[in-house]
Amino acid sequence: MKRVLTTCEFCGCGCNFYLGVEDGKVVAIYPSVSHPISQGRLCIKGWQGHEYIHSPERLTTPLIKKGNRFREASWNEAYVMIDDRLNETKTRYGSDSIAVLSSAKCTNEENYLMQKFARACLGTNNVDHCARLCHASTVVGLATTFGSGAMTNSITEIAGAEVIFIIGSNTTEQHPLIGDQVLRAIEKGAKVIVADPRETQLAKLCSLYMMHKPGSDVALLNGMMNAIIAEGLEDKEFIAERTEGFESLKETVADYTPEKSSAITGVPEEKIIEAARIYARSKKSIIIYSMGITQHTTGVDNVMTTANLAMLTGNVGKEFTGVDPLRGQNNVQGACDVGALPNVFSGYQAVTDEKLRNKFEKAWKVNLPPQPGLTLVEMLNSALEGSLRAMYIMGENPMVSDPDINHVEKSLNALDFLVVQDIFLTETATLADVVLPGVSFAEKDGTFTSTERRIQRVRKAIEPLGDSKPDWKIITELSSRLGYRMDYNSPAGIMDEIAKLTPIYGGVSYSRLENFGLQWPCPSLDHPGTPYLHKGSFTRGLGKFSPVGYKPPAELPSHDYPFILTTGRVGFHYHTGTMTRKDWALEREYPRGYVEVNSQDAKQLGIRNGQTAKVISRRGEISLSLKSVDTIAKGVVFIPFHFAEAAANKLTAANLDPVAKIPEYKVCAVRLEKG
Amino acid sequence: MKILSKSNLVPFLEGLGPEFEVNAPLYEGQDVLFGDLDSSKLATDFIGKPRLSPKEYFFPQRERLFTFKNNGGVEIEAHLNETKRVIWGIRPCDLYGLKFLDMVYLSDYVDPYYQARRSNTILLGLNCNKAEESCFCSSMGTGPFAKEAFDLLFTDLGDVFLVEIGSKAGEKLIEKQANLFTNATSKDEKQAGILEEKSKKTFKTSVDLGKVEAKIAGASSSPVWAEEAAKCILCGGCNWVCPTCYCFNIEDVMSGDKTQRVRYWDSCQLGGFTQMAAMNSRATQAERLRQRIYHKFSYNPDKYGGEIGCTGCGRCIDVCPTGINIAYILRRVANG
Repeated sequence: MKRVLTTCEFCGCGCNFYLGVEDGKVVAIYPSVSHPISQGRLCIKGWQGHEYIHSPERLTTPLIKKGNRFREASWNEAYVMIDDRLNETKTRYGSDSIAVLSSAKCTNEENYLMQKFARACLGTNNVDHCARLCHASTVVGLATTFGSGAMTNSITEIAGAEVIFIIGSNTTEQHPLIGDQVLRAIEKGAKVIVADPRETQLAKLCSLYMMHKPGSDVALLNGMMNAIIAEGLEDKEFIAERTEGFESLKETVADYTPEKSSAITGVPEEKIIEAARIYARSKKSIIIYSMGITQHTTGVDNVMTTANLAMLTGNVGKEFTGVDPLRGQNNVQGACDVGALPNVFSGYQAVTDEKLRNKFEKAWKVNLPPQPGLTLVEMLNSALEGSLRAMYIMGENPMVSDPDINHVEKSLNALDFLVVQDIFLTETATLADVVLPGVSFAEKDGTFTSTERRIQRVRKAIEPLGDSKPDWKIITELSSRLGYRMDYNSPAGIMDEIAKLTPIYGGVSYSRLENFGLQWPCPSLDHPGTPYLHKGSFTRGLGKFSPVGYKPPAELPSHDYPFILTTGRVGFHYHTGTMTRKDWALEREYPRGYVEVNSQDAKQLGIRNGQTAKVISRRGEISLSLKSVDTIAKGVVFIPFHFAEAAANKLTAANLDPVAKIPEYKVCAVRLEKG
Repeated sequence: MKILSKSNLVPFLEGLGPEFEVNAPLYEGQDVLFGDLDSSKLATDFIGKPRLSPKEYFFPQRERLFTFKNNGGVEIEAHLNETKRVIWGIRPCDLYGLKFLDMVYLSDYVDPYYQARRSNTILLGLNCNKAEESCFCSSMGTGPFAKEAFDLLFTDLGDVFLVEIGSKAGEKLIEKQANLFTNATSKDEKQAGILEEKSKKTFKTSVDLGKVEAKIAGASSSPVWAEEAAKCILCGGCNWVCPTCYCFNIEDVMSGDKTQRVRYWDSCQLGGFTQMAAMNSRATQAERLRQRIYHKFSYNPDKYGGEIGCTGCGRCIDVCPTGINIAYILRRVANG
């Protein structure tokens, strides 16, 4: 048996394992013991989630739609058709009538090429990916306050913290090996505070649990800061030396007495004060947050408020202190880092900055568009309006993952031309004119960047299935066909180009990544990488307090839609389930969707546990089985979004954060009926 | 008893080919795992156990059992693996694990797939001169030095291995390369005895098995089950790495006109376990954790003449992302 060390393709923890290969097939998994995060352990997806690689449903040849049906096609036919149609669109409607969705499941090299393809070949900045739907608010919020929109700590620092404040993260389910760090900290005596509308596993094991209303995060955090200032627990020295804007913060939070905060959040005053004391009194406090903070119309506000809290108490910029947004996808950090975003090149270098743009123009030998492109949801809106005519989607499934799917479907159908590159014929791919077969992580080389900014190798273990090709190869061939030559022999060569043009990846090369990677910023070949950010000074110089007041979610419960729907994931599935739902062990745990309802609400509705409920929003309705629980607040229901046949996103609304353009997946209004 | 100088280990193992496929603990990076003999990676200096037991040579993570095809009737092709194999470096805990699996798969119902692999494999054990942090085989009576279930048993005496013969098949391997071996003296055997006593003193984890056996029947309502299960994140790791866990699931994987029946390791900690029989009858995680321990320390001994289903290898302790520790649980049971 051959064994190939690689990085897990599911979440942002970045665990490493060996793929055991026999007769060209992946048949076994071995967690890496020496890897700093895995340490010989994995979650169920790491152990069992790879059966999809050899699924008979894998796409193994290009497909072209004829009438309503697909027919198999050669690569040449597919390329000719894409070349013709994209050129025609570009000539008739201009470069900005085309948009590209890159993929947080793909490698850094592939994401880099995809944004280069959009910018240099198609001539548009219309490139985005699903980071828009998860941590767009982090990128904006932490860049504003600290100057850098990434997790400030290393994962292993978490076990060394004295206080861990987890808000809006179901850590043990969604980032299992980070959940492990929290449990280790508890074992060592750390105090853990959890704020979440659902009583998660860690909420049951922590020192203090606050069940706050979905979307009331700013009010809760401002309430805690009010208590901290009232009791003189702020870190005056840190505030004076490392920050600016404290007076305006003080003014804003003065209004959020624990009484007022309690009235908005539903959390008892004493708990808010107690949480404030626990967090502020320790000099080793870490904040962990995830989608519960970011997926709101106030996503950026929420993120900036967590940063305010950390700066107020001096809990950032030192080991075992910090603000830790947990990135969801295996490479969503990397896809952002290498510029699969409409406003920046790799390394968060703004497309509007003439000097930076010139640098890329010189390196890529082409003129580049100076205006930021469309974000993901804006692309769909523009498609429906008619200004966007063609899209190229790689490794994303917006027909299940994006808010208000009925709207998504109308938008994609309104396009003149749609190309989807994926490993399965997803719900999105079925709408395409041309489908290109990419490959799984086991069939290619590359790198993923984990949530702790660790750039790690992905190593090819098996040959591409059938006629499928590594995604980076497809992009280079297509780009060259469309008239912008891309010549790379290997992903290592692509990384060398990334390093040359991207200061935070400046010292990265494949030979340096052999020993479990490097953590950026890593600006030069002799730089060892950076375990935690903002040591001594913030990336932006002084940390900027960015106080905001509470704003309610965009769609609140009403007489006709009396419940708040909040969406999320379960530990056994990943996103739209295209991979995990093909695995017997994972699918067996959760074969279908469900709606989690407070037991008292269920009783009042007259729907028993296991019975079918119809859930209806202003945008759509779905039927699924009701799960009666005591771990969710009254008036709130939860639906996991993995299940296309009962798609939670038929119900959600595309209400966006005004700056980050992230949709409010965590709050919309629904009613429940007997199904 | 024989002596093999350490410098002759690789020639001995390489000399077993091509008749046998030879497997041994190898360094993969800094990790030690069983693999196809590669002298440049051979781990001879390591302490403790490879991260997975050699169970998978007999009961793989994923095993294609047979392929069938409908062509008027049903055409079936079985995939019995009859590779002739020698595995070197099996620790005493893992030798016991295989002895246990033999009881399960080769007694009332003989599993042909297991049997094909098992009857074609020769087991070369390696005694442990030092315990790892999580090891507690000395408490389970399975180590640190093996007493049975090997064809040959190696003890590291420093520059040489003392080699004990456990079966005819083992003896034959020595006879074929007799020039590499010399006869052991009573001094060598005495030294091995000293090493065994020394090794027993290196254990940091221990459990009073007698007390566990006496108390376990009455421990079903202990709070330890719910307390520990509250941390479980359902990774199944404790089952995947266990040398004695033998539960499996089968799936039919269809591709074109052919269907493969595939057997996979399964985990009693998962909600979907035994769902082919409608449901997992243990509704809570506490019950599932209790089942894992009861199976090993109560139901197995009842069924297999007192033999426990735990080797004391400690891998389930090392693999648990949330610190659920079987030795701690057993101590709670013993003291309950």
